[in-house]
Amino acid sequence: MTAVEHAPATSRGWFNSKVFAKLAIRLGAFAAFAGIMIYFALTARGFTTTYNMINVVEQSTILGFLAFAMTVVFIGTGTDVQKGGIDLSIAANAGLCAAVYAVMMREGYGNYVAIPAAIGTGMVIGFFNGLAVVTLKIMPLLGTLAVMNIAAGVELTLTENTVVPVQSDLMTVLAFGRFLGISTLAWCLIIGSVLLVWAIHYSKIGLRLYAVGGHIEAARAAGINTGRYVYGAYIFSGFMAGVASILIVSRLSSSTPGTGLMLLPILAAALLGTVFSRRFIPTIGGTLLAALFIGFLANGFQLLGISSYWVSGVQGALILLVVTVTSFAKKH
Amino acid sequence: MTNQTDTAVRESRFSLEAASNYAVIVAFIAVVIFFTFAAPGFMSGENIFNLISNKVVLLAIVALGMTIVIGAGGIDLSVGVSIDLSSMIFIMMIAAGYMGAFAVMGGLGAAFCVGLLNAFLINKLKINPFLATLGVLFIGKSIQQLSTQGGVPIYLTRAEYAAPFDAIARTSLLGIPTPIIILVVCIIGVYLALHRSVFGRYVAALGAQADVARYSGIRVPFHMSIVFISCAVLSGITGILLSSTVRSYVPLAGDAFLLDAIGATFIGTAISAERRPSVLGTLIGVALLAVMRNGLLLIGWNFFWQQVGIGVLVFLVLGLSFGLRKRAE
Repeated sequence: MTAVEHAPATSRGWFNSKVFAKLAIRLGAFAAFAGIMIYFALTARGFTTTYNMINVVEQSTILGFLAFAMTVVFIGTGTDVQKGGIDLSIAANAGLCAAVYAVMMREGYGNYVAIPAAIGTGMVIGFFNGLAVVTLKIMPLLGTLAVMNIAAGVELTLTENTVVPVQSDLMTVLAFGRFLGISTLAWCLIIGSVLLVWAIHYSKIGLRLYAVGGHIEAARAAGINTGRYVYGAYIFSGFMAGVASILIVSRLSSSTPGTGLMLLPILAAALLGTVFSRRFIPTIGGTLLAALFIGFLANGFQLLGISSYWVSGVQGALILLVVTVTSFAKKH
Repeated sequence: MTNQTDTAVRESRFSLEAASNYAVIVAFIAVVIFFTFAAPGFMSGENIFNLISNKVVLLAIVALGMTIVIGAGGIDLSVGVSIDLSSMIFIMMIAAGYMGAFAVMGGLGAAFCVGLLNAFLINKLKINPFLATLGVLFIGKSIQQLSTQGGVPIYLTRAEYAAPFDAIARTSLLGIPTPIIILVVCIIGVYLALHRSVFGRYVAALGAQADVARYSGIRVPFHMSIVFISCAVLSGITGILLSSTVRSYVPLAGDAFLLDAIGATFIGTAISAERRPSVLGTLIGVALLAVMRNGLLLIGWNFFWQQVGIGVLVFLVLGLSFGLRKRAE
C-alpha cells in the first residue's frame, strides 16, 4: 500500500509538498512511538530487557483485546463517536463476565461450564447493545450507557463489591505458562491479533463491515444487511469482553471490582489507533500499536520513577494531540 | 379497501407518535404511583424535601449545563472535572483561611478555566467535543491526583471551618433552603437563555444544523465558547454546593454526576416531538432518576440493585420513546 502512495510523488519528479506533509504526519505517529521507545531505552534502566518487554506485552493483552472490541464497533458503525457508534459498556461487560466466571468457579462449576457462561454473558450484553442501537434505534452513546449501568449493577450484585478469588489449573497455565519463551498471555495477544487482522482486513465480512461503517446508506443500497452487521459488531464486542474477562481473572487470580474503570484507556487505545493507519480509520494493527504504546508509556514512567498520577494526564494530552493532528491532516 | 387500510395505517402512526412523546411522562407518573403504594414513607413531606434538597439540586444543576451543551449539538464529558476542581479549590481556599466569598469565586474560577480549555480545544483546535472533553477528563484526573497525593480526601469537619459551609448549605430564605433557591435561579436563568433569547435560538440552530448555522452568519466559535463555559460554571456551582453539604473534598467524586446528567438530558429529549433537549424535559429526567433511586432504596433494594433497576428503566423508556417514534416515521 505504501508503495502506491509514494508513486505519484516520484513519477512526477518534483517535490510534492502535499504528499510530503501527508507522509510526515502519517510517519509522525510511528516516529513519535519510536522516539519515545528510544528515549526510554536510553534513560530507563531495565526497559530493554526481554523480561520487561514481555511483561509490557502481557499487560497490554487485556487492554488490547478490549480495544479490539471497541475498534470493531467503530469500524462497523462509523468513527464519529458522537453520532456514530460506540460501545461504552465494554469495560463494565468485561467486569460482569469476570464476576460470572469467578462466582461460577466458586460455586464449584468447572471451567467447561464457567468459561462458556462468561463468554455467553458477554454476548448477551452485546446483544442488548445491538437491540438498543439497531432495533430500538436509540443513540449508541445512550443505549450502551444504559447497558453499561445494567452490567455494572449486575456485577456488583453478583460479587457484592468484593474480590472473588479463583483457583484452577487453567488460570495457572494462563498466568504462568510459557511456550517458546513467551508467556501464554502474550501468545493470546499475538494469536488474537492475527485472527482479527485476517477477519477484519482480509475477509469478505471485514470488507462489508467497513462498508457499513463508512456509509450505511450506500452499504444498504449495495445489498448488505446492515442491521445484521451492526448487531454482529456489538455481539462480537461482548464476546471479546468475555474472552478478556478470563484473562483478567487469570492475571489477578480473582475477579475484582473496578474493571469498569478500564473504559477510558480502552477508548484512548482505540482512538489513538487511528493515527497508525493510512487514512486515519480504525484498524486492528493500529489499535494493537496504540495499546502497546500506552503500555510502554506507563511502564517507562514507572521505571523512570515518575509518579503514576501523570499517566492519565499524559494519555489525555496524547488523545488531544493525536486528534488535532488527524483533523489537520484530513483537511490538507 | 386500499383507502381504508391507508387511513388505518395513518391513524396508528399518529397514535404511536403521540404515545412516544408521552412515554417519559407516563413512566414518571407510573413510577411515582408505584412507589407511593409500594414504599411507605415515599410520599411523606420529609422524604420529598430531603430528596429534592440532597439529590435533585446537585444533579439538576449539572444536568442543566449538559442540556445547554447537548442542545448545541455537543457533549461535555468533563463536567466531573469542573465539579471536582471547583470543589477542590473552594475547600483548599477555605482551609487556607480565605473568606467564604473568595473561596466560592476561586472555585467557580477553576470551573470557568475548565470551560475555557474545552472552548479552546473545540473552537481553535477543531477537536470534536466528545474527544476534546474526554482529553480534559483524563487531564483533570491527573491534576487531582497530583494535588492530593493520589486521591486523599480533604475533610474540614472542625467547627472553625463551619461558617462558610453553613452559610451556603444550612441557611434559608423565606423558609426555602438556599440550595433550592440557587437551583431555581439556575433553572430560570437557563430557561430564559435557551428558550426565550436570541442566544437560545442560535444554540438550537447549532444543534440542529451546525453548517447551516455557520453559513447564516452565526458566530459559531463565540457561541460554542459560551455554551461550554456556562456548562462548566454550572457544574462548578454543583461542586461548591456538594462540598458545602459534606464539608469536604473527595477527589474524583464529580464523575458520578456525568452519566446521570447525560442520561437525564437525553431522557428529557423524549418529551419533545423533535427529540430536542429542553429545560423542562431535563428536569423530568432528573426527577425520574432521583425518584427511582430513592424509591428503590425505600423498598429495600441496595445500591447495586438500584443501578440495575435504573439502567433497565432508562433502557425501557428510551426504547419506547425512540423505538415507537422511528417506527412511526
